[in-house]
Amino acid sequence: MTKTISPILLSQVPTGNCFTIRRVLARGEVGQRLIDFGFIKKRTGRVIREALLKDPIEIELGSTLISLRRSEAALVEVEPVE
Amino acid sequence: MNFTGRHRQRRHGRESTAASLFHPQRPLRIALAGNPNSGKTCLFNFLSGQYQHIGNYPGVTVEKKTGRFSYGEHLIELIDLPGIYSLTAYSLDEVVARDFLIKEQPDVIIDVLDSTNLERHLYLLMQFQEMGVPLVGALNMSDEAESKGIEIDANQLARILDIPFVKTIGNKGIGLEQLLAVAVQTAMAPRMNHQRHLNYGDLVETAHIELIAELTRDETFVTKYPVHWLVIKLLEKDQDAMARVRLEHQYTDQVFNRMHQIITTLEKAYGDDSRTIISEQRYAYIHGALRETVRIKHRTPRSDLTERVDNLLLHRFFGMPFFLLIMFLVYQLTFRLGNPLAQLIASGFHALATLVPRVLPEGFMQELLTEGIIDGVGGVLTFWPLVTLLMIGLAVLEDTGYMARAAFVTDKFFHIFGLHGRSFIPFMVSTGCAVPGIMSARLLPNPKDRIVTILVAPFMLCGAKAPVAAMIIAAFFPHRQALVFWLLWLFSWFAALTIALIFKKTLFRGEQPAFVMELPPYRLPTLPGILMHAGQRSWHYLKKAGTVILAASIIVWFALSFPKIRTDSSGQTSSESSVQLVQDAQTPARSALAYSYAGRFGRMIEPVLKLAGFDWKIGVSLVAGVAAKEVIVSTMGILYGIEASGHPSETTDVLLRTSLRNDPHYSALTAVALLIFVVLYTPCLATLIMVKKELRQLKWVLFQVGYTLLLAYGSAVLFFQVGEILFG
Repeated sequence: MTKTISPILLSQVPTGNCFTIRRVLARGEVGQRLIDFGFIKKRTGRVIREALLKDPIEIELGSTLISLRRSEAALVEVEPVE
Repeated sequence: MNFTGRHRQRRHGRESTAASLFHPQRPLRIALAGNPNSGKTCLFNFLSGQYQHIGNYPGVTVEKKTGRFSYGEHLIELIDLPGIYSLTAYSLDEVVARDFLIKEQPDVIIDVLDSTNLERHLYLLMQFQEMGVPLVGALNMSDEAESKGIEIDANQLARILDIPFVKTIGNKGIGLEQLLAVAVQTAMAPRMNHQRHLNYGDLVETAHIELIAELTRDETFVTKYPVHWLVIKLLEKDQDAMARVRLEHQYTDQVFNRMHQIITTLEKAYGDDSRTIISEQRYAYIHGALRETVRIKHRTPRSDLTERVDNLLLHRFFGMPFFLLIMFLVYQLTFRLGNPLAQLIASGFHALATLVPRVLPEGFMQELLTEGIIDGVGGVLTFWPLVTLLMIGLAVLEDTGYMARAAFVTDKFFHIFGLHGRSFIPFMVSTGCAVPGIMSARLLPNPKDRIVTILVAPFMLCGAKAPVAAMIIAAFFPHRQALVFWLLWLFSWFAALTIALIFKKTLFRGEQPAFVMELPPYRLPTLPGILMHAGQRSWHYLKKAGTVILAASIIVWFALSFPKIRTDSSGQTSSESSVQLVQDAQTPARSALAYSYAGRFGRMIEPVLKLAGFDWKIGVSLVAGVAAKEVIVSTMGILYGIEASGHPSETTDVLLRTSLRNDPHYSALTAVALLIFVVLYTPCLATLIMVKKELRQLKWVLFQVGYTLLLAYGSAVLFFQVGEILFG
């Protein structure tokens, strides 16, 4: 995860930054929900904000606003976008 | 159970027209489906309200609503399915919608789509299309889309997807007439006998054909389900689809072997999860269709209303204070408006009770009517305005889109106790009344969260427990009332959350339910939408709680009033034990109560209660309190010889407080043990009935009765005994 070239996890994207989805690692219910909300590779989104204790986070994907826990965001591989 | 074969043998259009002419009772069934926040409810209200109305009634499950109306020569049954994101089976809503579509086969589905967010909303439409049910798309909120510069070519979209589309503006009723006409037309059209679906690419298509061949070996199985759809679900590794094959298919093992083979090959070829492969294909297809049909004329600046409001309401530091403020307002409004109404109803029933003696002679019937029926039903109806107002408040929060935000703000806190952010709603509502609180637990998407929340939410200091606690506190801690009350309130939260955590760690271990959720755009709620939301719940409260409370209050009244002390002409009481009772009884009412079944029961369990510092009078009151918690106070009133009638209620209260304080058997320790017991013990009957209704299983009700009773008794005894050692 700390290799320089390898993608980072959505949970590590700083608030305000954009990202491109590489892969959804989540299975089961979380995986299904992420797919339902359009977590598909190559799509770009942005981390909008975090709650008081830095968890959960809110992201924008297409025209949908999605709230998810950091532990769930850690199941999505993304590439940071400058 | 009887969904066999219907799928294949659909009526053709002409026959159906004939059928509806000859059998006006057989309605044309239109299912309204769509994502949450697509404006579905609004459409439902408009359609079922605008046409000649035959009546709304809640369906078999409470989760879907049905409206009937006549439209031209047709009788239409409009079924409002719960809002869902996809046709998996992870949430109760999805299961309800999915089961309905498979088993009950509506004549047509109207899929309500948010035109401003078509890509994601079409994702569900693709899944409906795979099921092979005739489909009409409502491009709803088309005005919003236009103002955002989104131009949709509905005709072109209809050609590409082979589904008719109609532009609508649900909250203004625009386009709905046409939508209905198209839906009826689609339902009547001769059915195509194939379930159309998009092309998932050669590899998936091959897999699909192979698996269909495998399934078709069981000829009865393939008549029960839309096979085409089922196979796609199997390729997506859908648990529910797999369970159906496992249970119902003749060659389960062969199908499963082949299925695993096919999926493995597919995943190897793509280097990805089969579910992802399929959903990516769906999105790619949607993307292609939208590229040909949607033009965005001008980009709106990103900072729209929703974003600006969220910058405030979801602010990292101010989010929580705003949340508390909003809750406080809802609460204030409910109780400020509700209490006077409650008073009004209460005095109405009181007046009714005073009328009875004029009509009926003294005796069994009169007592039954005044003390049993009128008091009991009155007790429930008194809470009705509060319940309704609270439900209206919650409906507003839901329909504006704030509810999901509140979950965002509170999730971390509730997550510590193993709950979902949305659990705060049932908890909050339960501080008013546990009955609607338990109903509102439906907002929780995960069944485990829901059960745990329902099991612990009744610990909250509800509107009926609060006056009991207030009375006890006023009697024993007259100088620190507010402080003690506040501590008790904290204690109720503490108890509910800790017990929830314990349940989560023991009874409901396993996978954490998903929190991922949409934060829908803020929208102005519509009056009919809110009234329908709140009205239905309010009606359920009246109906369910009302009937049971009536029965329960008659039973409790009976237990408290019988057997009667019979006095013969010389004034001698008829039984020996009652002689002793009369000696320590100051009033006839009190000795009658002591002599009753409830009084005897109280005396019988007195040795057990003594460990917590309670005597038989408290015992009787607590038993009576299971009917409704506020009954504790009135029962104590009778036991202390204060007759409610004749005094203004404040005087009664003061008299009772004084009697309690002066009772040599009670100390401050007893009072606190009693407060602890009142907070924790068995929920009232109305709540238990609601639990049964919501969780459908008697075992949960019995479990709840059992564990709360043990917990309350254990805590009260522990407190009293430790207190005796420390201070006694």
